[in-house]
Amino acid sequence: MAKLVEIIGITHNPFLPRLIKAPNPDPVIVKTAKDYDWMRQKMAQARPDVLIVVASDHLNQWFMDNMPAFLVGKAPSTEGPAPVEIRAFGLAPYRAKIDTDMAKGIIREGSRLGVDFAFSDECFIDHAFTVPLNFVRPEMDLPIVPIWTNVMAQPLPTSQRFYDVGQRIREAVEALPDGTRVGVLSSGHLAVEIGGPKTSDYSSDTEFDRRMMELISAGDAQTVIQEATYQRLVKAGNVTPGFLNYILLMGIAGGTKPTATGLDFPEVTAAMHYMDWEIDGGGAA
Amino acid sequence: MNKYQVNKVMRQIIQDPESFQAFKENPAAFLEKQSLSQEERDALMRIDYPTLYAAGVHPFLLNGFVNRVWPGERAKLRAEYRAKIAPLGYPDFST
Repeated sequence: MAKLVEIIGITHNPFLPRLIKAPNPDPVIVKTAKDYDWMRQKMAQARPDVLIVVASDHLNQWFMDNMPAFLVGKAPSTEGPAPVEIRAFGLAPYRAKIDTDMAKGIIREGSRLGVDFAFSDECFIDHAFTVPLNFVRPEMDLPIVPIWTNVMAQPLPTSQRFYDVGQRIREAVEALPDGTRVGVLSSGHLAVEIGGPKTSDYSSDTEFDRRMMELISAGDAQTVIQEATYQRLVKAGNVTPGFLNYILLMGIAGGTKPTATGLDFPEVTAAMHYMDWEIDGGGAA
Repeated sequence: MNKYQVNKVMRQIIQDPESFQAFKENPAAFLEKQSLSQEERDALMRIDYPTLYAAGVHPFLLNGFVNRVWPGERAKLRAEYRAKIAPLGYPDFST
């Protein structure tokens, strides 16, 4: 069976690459750059053959004319970010082959396990994929399986559903016949508001951020699921549902306690954070 | 207001350079070709973000649209934007 070797979740904040390169960066941003380099090393040490990348799309590609809740990309390759994002944030590109056998395997096994994934044979990745990939696997040498989640257009799947889909992804991967080593990378964010009254250069709800990272650190998936209702998420900030990807990640991790987590509040943007699960000792296995 | 149609047109202006140019050069002519009501056209043409926000268009797209087409200074826009939409709270932006 295929084997999960490392699971990592980090922000896809599109301002971060520029903030890191800025002269005299905020000390918290300097720390985040080190933390994310540590995540890169951890993923490298786990020696994955393929990366499953779970992230959202900011209405750049999927839209309310035909909105998938969970979609697996199975095109031969993919790249990004969107031209509009390169223009707005000066982001670096990312290109990767897609492991189409694994992508199709997840779709097939998903159906057996109770998740009918949408799929795409022609897809690009926006900053929700390219930002974390450029931090964690800048070499662009591994095939990926991109999985998109809808965190932007209501009605969204529930927090319970995000968790359950994560569990099914784990089971689907483990049902695949070969011995492929699979790393998982997911991106999301904590409290963020864009285009609403609380839009600012700081977290829109530090209490939410602290509470959720405390629960994730404790491996308390049930309480996260209970508390991260749509109403609570949008109260924290109008686009905070991007947090749901981390609940899916907890599902992939089988509700276990992460090996490492971090939370920091820079003065210049939303909360910085990471979560990492080493599976069976990561690279040692 | 048909939130879906307004979202769609804002997204098109954000993403598509030709639509952006057409909107900048002659907003009335560009918007005439879209499936919009006169009220929706007027709000987009005037970049009337309080009206669009109150109607419940998607705030992420509204933010992208206003930032893309606003003719004036960005720092001033940011301060004014927040002040003008604060009293409007959180309209339902589901479509």
